[in-house]
Amino acid sequence: MSLQVTLKILRSRPHQEQRYDTFDVTVPDAANVLDAIEQAWAHHDRDLMFRHACHHASCGTCAVRINGREKLPCIAPVKDYDGGEIKIEPLRNFPIVGDLVVDVAPFFQNQEASDFIITRPTENELDGKAIAHTQGLDPESAPTVPFNRFENCVECGICLSACPTMSADYKFFGPAGLAAIKRQLDKTTDANEREKLLHLADDEHGVWRCHSAWECTEACPQSVFPAESIMALRKEINAQRFKKFFRL
Amino acid sequence: MSNPPHVIIIGAGSTGSATAHDLALRGLSVTVVERGEIASGTTGRNHCLLHSGGRYCVNDKEGAIECIEENLILRRIMPHALEMNDGLFVALDDEDYAFQEDFLAGCEECHIPAREIPVKQALEIEPFLNPKIKAAVQVPDGVFEPWRFCTSFLATAKKNGATIRNFTEVSDLVFQGSAVAGIQVFDHRTGKTETIGADMVVNATGSWAGIIAEMAHVNVPVAPTAGVMVTIGTRLNNMVINRMHKPHDGDIVVPVRNTSIIGTTSWRVTSPDAIEIPQDQIDKMMHAGELLIPSIKAGRQRGVMAVARPLIASANVDARDFSRTFEAFNHRKQGGAAGIITISGGKTTTARGMAEKVSDVVCAELGISVECKTKTTPLVSYRDFYN
Amino acid sequence: MNLYRPELKRFRFLRWFDFRSWRLGMLAYILNRVTAIGLVVYLYLHLAVLFLLAQGPSGWDPFIQIARTPWFLMLDVILLAGLLIHGLNGLRVALTGFGYGVRSQKPLFIALMIFAAIVLAVGVFKMFMG
Ligand SMILES: Cc1cc2nc3c(=O)[nH]c(=O)nc-3n(C[C@H](O)[C@H](O)[C@H](O)COP(=O)(O)OP(=O)(O)OC[C@H]3O[C@@H](n4cnc5c(N)ncnc54)[C@H](O)[C@@H]3O)c2cc1C
Ligand code: SF4
Repeated sequence: MSLQVTLKILRSRPHQEQRYDTFDVTVPDAANVLDAIEQAWAHHDRDLMFRHACHHASCGTCAVRINGREKLPCIAPVKDYDGGEIKIEPLRNFPIVGDLVVDVAPFFQNQEASDFIITRPTENELDGKAIAHTQGLDPESAPTVPFNRFENCVECGICLSACPTMSADYKFFGPAGLAAIKRQLDKTTDANEREKLLHLADDEHGVWRCHSAWECTEACPQSVFPAESIMALRKEINAQRFKKFFRL
Repeated sequence: MSNPPHVIIIGAGSTGSATAHDLALRGLSVTVVERGEIASGTTGRNHCLLHSGGRYCVNDKEGAIECIEENLILRRIMPHALEMNDGLFVALDDEDYAFQEDFLAGCEECHIPAREIPVKQALEIEPFLNPKIKAAVQVPDGVFEPWRFCTSFLATAKKNGATIRNFTEVSDLVFQGSAVAGIQVFDHRTGKTETIGADMVVNATGSWAGIIAEMAHVNVPVAPTAGVMVTIGTRLNNMVINRMHKPHDGDIVVPVRNTSIIGTTSWRVTSPDAIEIPQDQIDKMMHAGELLIPSIKAGRQRGVMAVARPLIASANVDARDFSRTFEAFNHRKQGGAAGIITISGGKTTTARGMAEKVSDVVCAELGISVECKTKTTPLVSYRDFYN
Repeated sequence: MNLYRPELKRFRFLRWFDFRSWRLGMLAYILNRVTAIGLVVYLYLHLAVLFLLAQGPSGWDPFIQIARTPWFLMLDVILLAGLLIHGLNGLRVALTGFGYGVRSQKPLFIALMIFAAIVLAVGVFKMFMG
């Protein structure tokens, strides 16, 4: 069985007028929108620019807007769009490099500023089942080391695209960046590092710029809940100020 | 020849990225061209398993030893881009159980640390594992993330002076006499065609190597064989779960972040671009996964992907250079064009080792001798790629 | 109009009005901004009306005549709606902004808006019938 879909893709290049191009493609039932985009590239236009790598929501490169909503096309089944026309546009709030490719450099520089490490200790997260604290087999040094795993955030930029504040203030540190600060804060006990992280968040373009639209949390494909991290950071910063003020 | 010599690497998969890092660290001037996003070829869509070698320790000892060596090196040079949770080889039936002896002997021979753990303990660590397993052996498998794997290498190469151009597609080679002296590229961003001169071109285009080789009027017969992987929307295992038997279809479940990935099968395809995924391959995969972790049946399918292995068809043995675990051709030595080397195959796990070998050949061809230092040089953060 | 033209620059905020991406949170966000502008405009109008008061009954009485017409009462309804939406949503924003009720911000919004609707209905009834 296969599905017939029409993709309508926003094409832009620095040297060209923006336009929508239409591609009719046939994909298998199990295909996701990214497969359809790849078909359009393979069989219709080799000049179509789009980002993709892992095809399983781990690298975060492929994020686009499908029918106006931010999505990872690699996990968006074509079936869900019911044979109709699928409109595909690049993320908002990023400079466009070409077609569906946006410039993520400033975003990654922010992420780096928060020293966000993409691995973390395992927190009993096997589908809700608690596991006994286990030990890995480190062939090199200590006989046992704790398990670790990748952070949930895939750095796709979807939350920055969904954020209405981001379209008004380009300097905004952004939901993912602030969530990263929160994660890093939870992982470290070093007082200096904590001070540095809180300082980074406590800024006009940091946590205080958020105006509670909650779109980041709604749009995030990885259940990172960035808005909650922002609120938690505010709480922490306020507590710190309170303590300072009363010299507690 | 320019000083330092200029080397162009075509393809930014794991092989090209690691080679760029190696050559840049040796002080050469390096340019990487990739037609799409980093790791948009085979590397991006692979199974993400940082092999311990356990899978190969009975059938392919050479490959297994290479894996464990590279595994240990990668743990040192890119610890932040790996999930180091080990792997479990489990025996499901009597046949598997009988294989355990060979398996443990193989691990020992290849110096793969292996530890038999009681079934009860294995089930404690892996509560979703098939409770009927007969035996479990722990080995130092790991999980990498392909895109960050490549960008880590490229970020470090960039720091050492390399130029990396994605969305830049090679459309032809430039010759000086019969030797390759550069490439002609089409830059998708600007829509312009330009030529870039080089003292040496490394063709690291994996499944597409044959197309570039054709431009150099040499033959590299690639036979792309696809493999499918299915991603389950919840993480059902801590460690990589392997079935303890000879490599087979769908016998590994790799946990990545908040998902588990089942893989993989193999079938022949005509073109490595945009492979269509047959439903029966998916069903086959789900079935094999369910045997290891029954909860997979109830799990939500989150993504399905397929990609081609860059296998070289009927590789003529004389044409093979330097190793049996991957294919590398120094075309000049086979009477073909000078100035171009093709490297294909291998694994992402062994990319650094492949890069070392191909870089040695590049340096020898260029008449320079610099030592490889990638074994001990920690990589910078992948995010520095965007600096 | 193409809201995604790169030249949009300072007017990027217009993208808020791409209704395809609207969800509850975005709606609340936009409502809060629109009502805020409405309330500011009202404040100035209010000042202008107060100025009439300073002119004595000759200025004031005709105004009261107009203010009693149903059309003018409609404006009052809009004002009341704006006040309720902005005030109650502001409560939610303030609460969640300090880390309270974060997980229940959506039900909170719905509950507050239902409350606003009830108060508005009572107000309208009083205005037209009372
Ligand atoms: C199904 C499957 C599962 C696998 N699982 C694992 C695993 O778990 N662990 C492991 O270690 N290995 C695994 N492998 C092996 C591993 O993925 C590959 O060996 C490895 O990715 C090959 O990398 P490469 O750089 O040689 O090729 P590629 O990653 O394919 O890189 C080639 C690049 O060249 C580019 N290119 C092509 N033509 C041009 C052109 N004209 N101009 C510019 N650029 C061009 C392509 O876009 C591509 O990015 C798996 C392979 C398969 C197929
Ligand atoms: S927080 Fe979520 S939406 Fe934002 S970058 Fe990370 S994964 Fe993407």
